[in-house]
Amino acid sequence: MLIKIAWRNIWRNKRRSIIVLSSVIVGIVAAICMDALQNGMLYQMLFNQINLSTSHIQIHKNGFIDNKIVQNTIPDNNAAEQAAIENEHVSFYSKRVITFGLISSANNSSGIFLFGVDPELEKNVSIIISSVVKGKYFETGIREVLIGTTLSEKLQVDIGDKIVCMANMKDGSIGSDVFRVIGIFRSPDSEYNKAYIYVPITDAQNMLELGAEYHELAIITKDYHFAPQAADEIESKLGERFEVLSYDEVLPLLVMQLDMYKEMIYVINFIIGLALIFGIINAMLMAVYERTQEIGVLMAIGMKNGKIVNMIVLEAFLIGLLGTIIGVVLGWVLYKGVLINGIDLSSFAESLDSFGIGAILYPKLSMENLISLLLTIPLISIIGAFYPAYRAVKLQPVTAIRHV
Amino acid sequence: MDLIKTENLDKTYSDNGVPVEALKDINLSFERGEFTVIAGPSGSGKTTLLNVIGALDKPTNGKIFLEGSDITIKKRKELSALRLNKFGFVFQAYNLIPVLSAIENIEFSMMLLGIPESERRSKALSLLDELEIKDLAYKRPNEMSGGQQQRVAVARAIVNDPEIVFADEPTANLDSVTGGKLLDLMEKMNRDKNITFIFSSHDNQVIERAKRLILLRDGKLDLK
Amino acid sequence: MGLLLKLSWRNIWRNKRRSLLTLIAIVFATMTAIAMRGVQIGTYDVNIKYVLNLFSGYIQVQKAGFQKDNSLTKNFKFSQELQNILSENKLIKGFAPRVMSGGLISFKNNSQGAALIGFSPKHESASTTIMNRLMEGSFFASDTSYDIVVGYKLLKNLNAKIGDEVVVLSQGIDGSLGNLKFKISGTVKFGNPEMDLSAVFVALNSAQELLAMENRIHSIVITLSSQGDLDEVKTGLQNKINDASLVVLDWGEVLPEFKQSIDLDNVSGALMLLILVIIVAFGILNTVLMSVTERFKEFGVSLSIGMPQIKLVTLIIMETVFIASIGILLGDLIGYGINSYIHNNPITLGAEFEQMYEEYGFLPIIESSVDLIIFLNTSLVIFVISIISVLYPAYKVYKLEPLKGIRYT
Repeated sequence: MLIKIAWRNIWRNKRRSIIVLSSVIVGIVAAICMDALQNGMLYQMLFNQINLSTSHIQIHKNGFIDNKIVQNTIPDNNAAEQAAIENEHVSFYSKRVITFGLISSANNSSGIFLFGVDPELEKNVSIIISSVVKGKYFETGIREVLIGTTLSEKLQVDIGDKIVCMANMKDGSIGSDVFRVIGIFRSPDSEYNKAYIYVPITDAQNMLELGAEYHELAIITKDYHFAPQAADEIESKLGERFEVLSYDEVLPLLVMQLDMYKEMIYVINFIIGLALIFGIINAMLMAVYERTQEIGVLMAIGMKNGKIVNMIVLEAFLIGLLGTIIGVVLGWVLYKGVLINGIDLSSFAESLDSFGIGAILYPKLSMENLISLLLTIPLISIIGAFYPAYRAVKLQPVTAIRHV
Repeated sequence: MDLIKTENLDKTYSDNGVPVEALKDINLSFERGEFTVIAGPSGSGKTTLLNVIGALDKPTNGKIFLEGSDITIKKRKELSALRLNKFGFVFQAYNLIPVLSAIENIEFSMMLLGIPESERRSKALSLLDELEIKDLAYKRPNEMSGGQQQRVAVARAIVNDPEIVFADEPTANLDSVTGGKLLDLMEKMNRDKNITFIFSSHDNQVIERAKRLILLRDGKLDLK
Repeated sequence: MGLLLKLSWRNIWRNKRRSLLTLIAIVFATMTAIAMRGVQIGTYDVNIKYVLNLFSGYIQVQKAGFQKDNSLTKNFKFSQELQNILSENKLIKGFAPRVMSGGLISFKNNSQGAALIGFSPKHESASTTIMNRLMEGSFFASDTSYDIVVGYKLLKNLNAKIGDEVVVLSQGIDGSLGNLKFKISGTVKFGNPEMDLSAVFVALNSAQELLAMENRIHSIVITLSSQGDLDEVKTGLQNKINDASLVVLDWGEVLPEFKQSIDLDNVSGALMLLILVIIVAFGILNTVLMSVTERFKEFGVSLSIGMPQIKLVTLIIMETVFIASIGILLGDLIGYGINSYIHNNPITLGAEFEQMYEEYGFLPIIESSVDLIIFLNTSLVIFVISIISVLYPAYKVYKLEPLKGIRYT
């Protein structure tokens, strides 16, 4: 019954209620949009790294991650591959030779990271193949190299041109080889475009005299949430000669940023709520004032203070709830209809490349935020109604009834 | 020449979609110096008639001539200036601006006319003195009784030397003694300054004092 | 006019509670906006200053096209003429010539990728703060030394120590591969992982020797005493330098990613504040609407006695102007207090954040700015939005007819 009264009271002054409602809706839609953008950005950074080379799990010789010298190859290839295949969470893996080197063209030279990969296996584990914008992915798999757009510009080479690659061999001397540029890629990460090159693993192993050895077994799991668990399982199987890292150990900073951001949400929503509360207090004060006479009558006929407070608080709560729901729905519609297609940030594109996002930002709604909003804002409405409700019950019935 | 002359005045307004003929074919004229009351039972249209000839409302049909010129064809801005310069109004209630003192309320009218600040205060004080309410000068409306407020309202209405003062039920909220005093005041202004007063009222006290009485019944002149 | 002012002022305090609430809302919005913007901009300023003074300078003179492809062949002479132009400019704190290239640094069996930087200690110490980042050992003093200073992480990866001899391999401008022996004399810590992992500093002439560059350089790094002088110095140099193949770039062009990440953050910060202010504006709309409709009877009477519509509209706009002005002023004061406190007592973030910030090239410090512009901008925006929220009520008053007002319930 009280709810019915509170609800109808809201619409007695349509204009005022609509204005308060609008402010709540604007606040919520804004909060949702901003969050979707920020969240999307962070996740994009993470997933781009994972999809480019970090993958979900990496298996190395123990100590490799801190000292990526060419000699630190995986101690036992078969054991590693076996452990990977046997784990239920694993869906794909790829073998990689990783080292520093120097790449030279007729015009220029540049320091680079060399990835020697198995062309077939790598396809399942990295998006590098779909990042090729000119030329193609590995064909014959013999002395072909994929380089980034920025690097190709710096070296002034194009498809078909030859480059020389030099790196430390296992015995310490410098090994080198000539490669033909078969494809140029543009990844979402500017660092990759500047300084990473891909060659077939056999060529890398030959150039560096590694035989059949390699440095990293990269694994993609069926569900990335299980990556840490799978990593532990594999590590316990392989023992201490190996290190098995899940993506959150390889990219602790990105993961930490995501976590930190989730905490920030609450703070931001709180501030928005604070901004809204003034409007709510004002509106409820007006509502109480307008109905002074009526409240006086209610008191006279015996309605208890507690119920009067409830009535007023309920009214504010309903407005807050209604505004929140409409805001969430609108935000959702906006997200699904417009934002999900991605926002083209070409004008900012350079910077985002350096964050590893790429030119198009895909917003990602976070459930935490929606829930946080659904809880915080109506709560704030209730708090905002306390003072006006207090003023309502302080009225004296007789004076109130005479109020004009 | 007549001060005011109406010709075939009609006024119909819409009450929630239902058309109400408030005035039907009113033909009247007023002269300078009148102290006239438009009387009639509730709903007879007296307030409507007052509003129309006071340029607060426009008739549906007909003409109104003020000193020979037709005010029904004037624009909103012109009518506003007209009311400012030539008319004074006293309403039943809410005449004064609550946050201004009595003297400031009177000055307000003068300010609208563009009278410089230096002149305003002295003129207002002397008027208040004349009306014997000088002691109310710095009081705010919520510090005065109903009767006092109405007296200040009269002062405000005549400070700009209007031709006509329109008073709509000015005594409705007052007891008979206070009402009588208010009417004394207005009669004095009518006598001393030759200000025309046109009332609408159903208060017998007001009707008794009328020098001329116009009766309305159902929007028509009751010439009986 | 005076009476209208008096009237509008008194009208505000008719309903003390309501006006106070609106005032508090505006104060809150203003001070939050100022504090947040202050911290944002202050922190940017600190970072920009740090980064620019450290390595990239405020302005660089380069051969046209070098910025884009870092091609070794895009070099130029460090002529006396250029040096004169630069020394004469009083706004320039210091300038330093640089040679840059990519290469390989090897120690025994080990080689690592290296970002080779050839510089002149004499010039650098007068302009940048690189040499302050020395962690262990020492920098070379002359332009011809064969000492090398490396990033501390690089030293670790090479498994080398100070005093060891290393070989640096690089491709010269003539296309040939050159190598040169150097002795490690010290390590630097930038805080930036990339630099710490790959930067190697050698003397200018030695770098030129390695790259077969004779006496040519890739860029001149210029630092200023005050960031505000940037535009003036840049245009001044552009006019004075006669060589059409040289370009004068400001730091935004040299470090576009850095600049754009700051711009991006800036925009998102400003957006958030705009949302805040808009929410408060709804509150103002409601308040003004209420206070206006409450007074329709009174307005009706005023209109009856001939008050022009426009004056009435002016009245209520003035009321909002008053409240907004007071609120903004108070908000400015409080915001100033907050910002100046943080400005004088910058907050250093804890160790967990240090790493994350360094990765992105930012200092883990929160500072605030008391730049006048912040107060002006914020106050203006809030003021304008307050006025906009009064437009609808003002319209309703403008359309009010005397009788409608009098009869209003």
